[in-house]
Amino acid sequence: MIETRQLSRIYRRGDGTPVTALRDITLSIADNEFVVVRGSSGSGKSSLLNILGCLDTPSAGQYLLAGEDVSGYSEEQRSKVRSRRIGFVFQSFNLLPRTTAVENVEMPALYSDSPVDRQRAMSLLERVGLGARAHHFVSELSGGEQQRVAIARALMNGPPLLLADEPTGNLDSTVGNSIMQLLTELNAEGQTIVLVTHDEHTASFARREIVIRDGMVASDGPQDQSRRDA
Amino acid sequence: MILGNTVGLAWRSLVRNKLRSFFMMLGVIIGVAALTTLASVGEATQQETLRQFKRMVGTFDTLTVRPGASATRGMPSLSVVEPTLKFEDGAAVAAVPGVRRVARVQQVFDLDVIYRDRSTTPGLFGASTEWADIRGETVTAGEHLTEEDERSLARVVVIGEDVRTSLFPDEDPLGKIVRIADVPFEVKGVLASNGVGPGGSSLDNMVVIPVTTASKRLFNREYLTNLIVQVEDPEQSDTVAERVRAVLRERHRLAESAPDDFNIGSPRASVAQVTAVGTTLGRVMNGVAWIATLIGGVMIMALMLVGVSERRREIGVRRAVGATRGDIRLQFVVETAVIAGVGGLLGILLGIGGATVAALLQKLPPAYLWSSIGMAAVLSVVIGLLFGLLPAWRAAQVDPIEALRS
Ligand SMILES: Nc1ncnc2c1ncn2[C@@H]1O[C@H](COP(=O)(O)OP(=O)(O)OP(=O)(O)O)[C@@H](O)[C@H]1O
Ligand SMILES: [Mg+2]
Repeated sequence: MIETRQLSRIYRRGDGTPVTALRDITLSIADNEFVVVRGSSGSGKSSLLNILGCLDTPSAGQYLLAGEDVSGYSEEQRSKVRSRRIGFVFQSFNLLPRTTAVENVEMPALYSDSPVDRQRAMSLLERVGLGARAHHFVSELSGGEQQRVAIARALMNGPPLLLADEPTGNLDSTVGNSIMQLLTELNAEGQTIVLVTHDEHTASFARREIVIRDGMVASDGPQDQSRRDA
Repeated sequence: MILGNTVGLAWRSLVRNKLRSFFMMLGVIIGVAALTTLASVGEATQQETLRQFKRMVGTFDTLTVRPGASATRGMPSLSVVEPTLKFEDGAAVAAVPGVRRVARVQQVFDLDVIYRDRSTTPGLFGASTEWADIRGETVTAGEHLTEEDERSLARVVVIGEDVRTSLFPDEDPLGKIVRIADVPFEVKGVLASNGVGPGGSSLDNMVVIPVTTASKRLFNREYLTNLIVQVEDPEQSDTVAERVRAVLRERHRLAESAPDDFNIGSPRASVAQVTAVGTTLGRVMNGVAWIATLIGGVMIMALMLVGVSERRREIGVRRAVGATRGDIRLQFVVETAVIAGVGGLLGILLGIGGATVAALLQKLPPAYLWSSIGMAAVLSVVIGLLFGLLPAWRAAQVDPIEALRS
């Protein structure tokens, strides 16, 4: 599904000094994996996820998504790739205010090639356990419920890859756990997931953990099963 | 992205932010309402002027032939006109193709009409029988003049409503004898009132006698003050006027180089003149309304720009799920156009209301200039599209990564 070769990302500060957020990231993530990217604040997790999600382009290196080299894609091309292949879940939910749950879920379909399918949006809401709240406004939903709506939205266009940046960061631990539970279930149903967190407990839900330190891969391997069960 | 979806999106956004949307529309509403009202009030006034004109000339499908090279202002009087237009000219003009009928007229405005100890000075028209037919005059009492009256030089008179009130305030005028320049005339009929003309003066202060009687018994003049020529097809009146001109030049034996010794006018031309006058104020007000509408567009743009910075997160999310810059641009342009369009529609409704109220206040039948109203509707959408461009461009520039960073 994902293949990166010597990926690096160098930002330029306002005064022109370069900041190397990622260097020489070489990874490969297979279909149906549930991978967590863990690291301390400022280690480069979001930078990596933005590139994997085709929101950003690498400064150097190669990125192959589903066999397609997207490293040099234009804005327009990356938008299309995002529409077809990527689902995003954010820390702060980022639902549209003054809009109902189901409208939020449908939104990505507006930018896809297929017509808006209300039926599909409804069944996705069922899937995340919010069938009854489909016509509630976002402001009437709790944080956990909003994140479930956001997950349903991410799945609307049936993307092969689901990316989540600190999806439990704004939730208390019980609600966070239930969100992680949901993601684990989706993974069990075949969804490839890459999730970013700085939290070890959250990381424990995934089968594989990539630790990032100073923009480099510090470790990459299967999770200790005992820690998962703890 | 499908345009229908975008319009739906824009509509929902408008409905969900009713107050904000209303303020955005306000300028366009006021501007378009003003444009609509001004255009419609202008139309109502113009139609009223036309009606007044029509009451004066009776009908628009006519040409007026007067003696003299240049068109004189106001009504020519027998005592001042050149003696070039003859009775026979009338008959010749009547034979011109495209001419339906011709009324021959001798008119004066300074003769007293006396009944016992009462006296009045109406317009006096010596007119052939066609006069009443062309003008569509009707009598409320008695009868019109007849061809027999004309042949026999009958001393009969048909009086206007004002003359009836002056001379016969509480008497039946029919059969009574009035004196005009010491010649006795029997009152034969009373004309129905025509109300007021363009200047606001009464159109009923007049008497009509047979043109032959006027010529032979009253004035002893063999020439006319004017011919009223009714054409068969008003669209052809210019062509017919040319033919009439040729016939008259020939009859008057004018040399190739000589100017006409008569002039031909049409009520259409006069109306065009009248309605063109007095619209300067209207133009200024119209300009102000246009500026108001443009300012409305600028207001929409300013508030949309604010909206773009408030909605950076929304833009970021849309971009993240696959919206291209073009999609975002389209969304914002359409949103602005929908807001301006709805504003324009509200403005039109308000303007139609305003025009109706204005017409009622002026005691005129309301008239709506639909072409201008349609223009205003198109204008508001165009303004929306135009002033939506900058906000849309700004929205498309939003960097999704930055917008989504929590
Ligand atoms: N647009 C930018 N311009 C300049 N520097 C940036 C920019 N974005 C990120 N950085 C820098 O790059 C480094 C990595 O940032 P990144 O956001 O990827 O970290 P992170 O691991 O996601 O951190 P956190 O856990 O706080 O979200 C940081 O030092 C950050 O200051
Ligand atoms: Mg981050």
